[in-house]
Amino acid sequence: MPRSGAEIALSLGVVALGIGVAAVTATLPSEGGYAGIGPNFIPAVVALGIIALGVWLAIEAFAGGWRDMPEHTDRFEPMPFVWVSAGLFAHMALIGWAGFIIAGTVLFACVARGFGSRRMVRDLAIALVMSVAIYLFFVKLLNVNLPAGWLEPVLGGAGI
Amino acid sequence: MEALNALLHGFGIALQPMNLLWGFIGVTLGTFVGVLPGVGPALTVAMLLPLTVKLDPTGALIMFAGIYYGAMFGGSTTTILLNTPGESASIATALEGNKMAKAGRAGPALATSAIGSFVAGTIATVLLTLVAPIVVDLALKFGPAEYFALMVFAFITVAAVLGSSTVRGLTSLFLGLFLGLIGIDSQTGQQRFAFGVPELLDGVDVVVLAVGLFAVGEALYVAAYQSRVTETLEKLKGSLLMSAEDWKRSWPAWLRATAIGFPFGTIPAGGSEIPTFLSYATEKKLSKHPEEFGKGAIEGVAGPEAANNAAATGVLVPLLTLGIPTSATAAILLGAFQNYGLQPGPLLFDAQKDLVWGLIASLYVGNIILLILNLPLIGMWVKVLQIPKDLLYAGILVFATLGAYSLHQSWVDLLTLYVFGLLGFMMRRWDIPVGPAVIGLILGPLAETQFRRALSISQGDPSVFISHPISATLLAITALLIIAPWLIRRFRSTSS
Repeated sequence: MPRSGAEIALSLGVVALGIGVAAVTATLPSEGGYAGIGPNFIPAVVALGIIALGVWLAIEAFAGGWRDMPEHTDRFEPMPFVWVSAGLFAHMALIGWAGFIIAGTVLFACVARGFGSRRMVRDLAIALVMSVAIYLFFVKLLNVNLPAGWLEPVLGGAGI
Repeated sequence: MEALNALLHGFGIALQPMNLLWGFIGVTLGTFVGVLPGVGPALTVAMLLPLTVKLDPTGALIMFAGIYYGAMFGGSTTTILLNTPGESASIATALEGNKMAKAGRAGPALATSAIGSFVAGTIATVLLTLVAPIVVDLALKFGPAEYFALMVFAFITVAAVLGSSTVRGLTSLFLGLFLGLIGIDSQTGQQRFAFGVPELLDGVDVVVLAVGLFAVGEALYVAAYQSRVTETLEKLKGSLLMSAEDWKRSWPAWLRATAIGFPFGTIPAGGSEIPTFLSYATEKKLSKHPEEFGKGAIEGVAGPEAANNAAATGVLVPLLTLGIPTSATAAILLGAFQNYGLQPGPLLFDAQKDLVWGLIASLYVGNIILLILNLPLIGMWVKVLQIPKDLLYAGILVFATLGAYSLHQSWVDLLTLYVFGLLGFMMRRWDIPVGPAVIGLILGPLAETQFRRALSISQGDPSVFISHPISATLLAITALLIIAPWLIRRFRSTSS
């Protein structure tokens, strides 16, 4: 049963997270002045809580699956997921040196492609107009700094 | 009388031209983003938070209150015309509102929703004005032990009692509590779970978590599972005006819903979900036309929509007077306060009179602006609904990443955003609620501070939590909330 397999994996993932939190907590100091508890007390409680919940989830998963789950019939389609993810990673890589407008345009086009758009030119045009508008709104009106990147000469030349 | 004076003073602040402008921008943007399908109030507030970073606190929070209210109004338009409830609180509206739209009665459905929201919002704001000073007086008597008990109570109701599964709700909460630990411990300056990464030392920002879970997670989910599904948009035909019959049937529903919604908003019961359903059930029971329910009964729209807005205002009572958020949206609003170094609570009413009462007064103003925006200008919002899905999600993600990036101008925050997006995707797929995680992130560190403060005062004696009567009562109720359902189930299975 693939569904139950995913639930078991997720439950064990929660347990693993709890163990990780516990391991880091063990390195934290425990002296706490008047309170008698230090900065490691609540992390320890949280770690134990996460482990206990993970075990509880795992028991449910092994004993016939998580309780009261809604019907799920849609099929997972990898390509749209990959396009959206790729757009986000490209944006992450580009924003620092290519600038907000270019990174935003690439992200927009990738996400639109992921949602089934086949009109790349239209998407890029809309993305560019929108990114420029947001850029101007933030930089000029709200005084929030956004990287100009490669378009620095163009934007600078236009007095922006 | 004192409240009235304070409120009049507040109007003096809310009606200053700049603040009026920020309020107007807030409700307009809130409505615009709230109308977008798949974008609920929590995401609307989180996405628009970066807009306010350079404003003065009063202007920013007035704009923010406008965004919060606008998102509520905008969401109902989407629900009625598109039948995709953006949040659980809209499900009740979707039952009747979309049926009315299908039957060509979209106009009156939108009208009763907008006018009902206005009536409920205004009455609830009056109640907020009257109740807040009373709660503040009470809260001034609270010590750290009482606050801690109250926060534990809020955690448990939000995570364990609401939702389809106790264990999945608690898992979400504990995830949020863990994320809240990341950063520098406020009491000792000790670094925790940050591994020396500068972006993590500031702690996990609520905007990054909320936008990651709600926007990136939702985009990944819809892309992977529903990118080919198309929804049908109902046309807005005929008159927007409600007939005399519509008015006669809507009025009592609005008032009853306000009476249900406001109190539910003020207690930690997860916001608007319960009161909207209660209002729907009440109207169905009291209606002279029960046969119309399920086919488009106007009371079924009027009630839940009014209840939703009354509850949204009620949520502001514990948020402003105690600093306790009872819904994911309220948690993000609390994050907005913290960005300005403000901690909502009884002391805020004293130290920041202008800000608090200006904010409350702006709620009255915002309701009026929203009524104008949503009735005569409804055609404009319907156009927003026609944006195709591919462009919609592309636009949402450009804006969502902007919010995360503007925190430290660093790609690390964008990576964190993607990680939260994956988390949101999995939580959506395997039915783990995301609200408790957002509340845990914001409320967890506050609860830890109160816990350690209480123990410092008692010199490390843990009995302080049960020797104080208010704290003991709250903890007892909390324990009962966890144990009772389990005991009942146990009792039933042994007796049958």
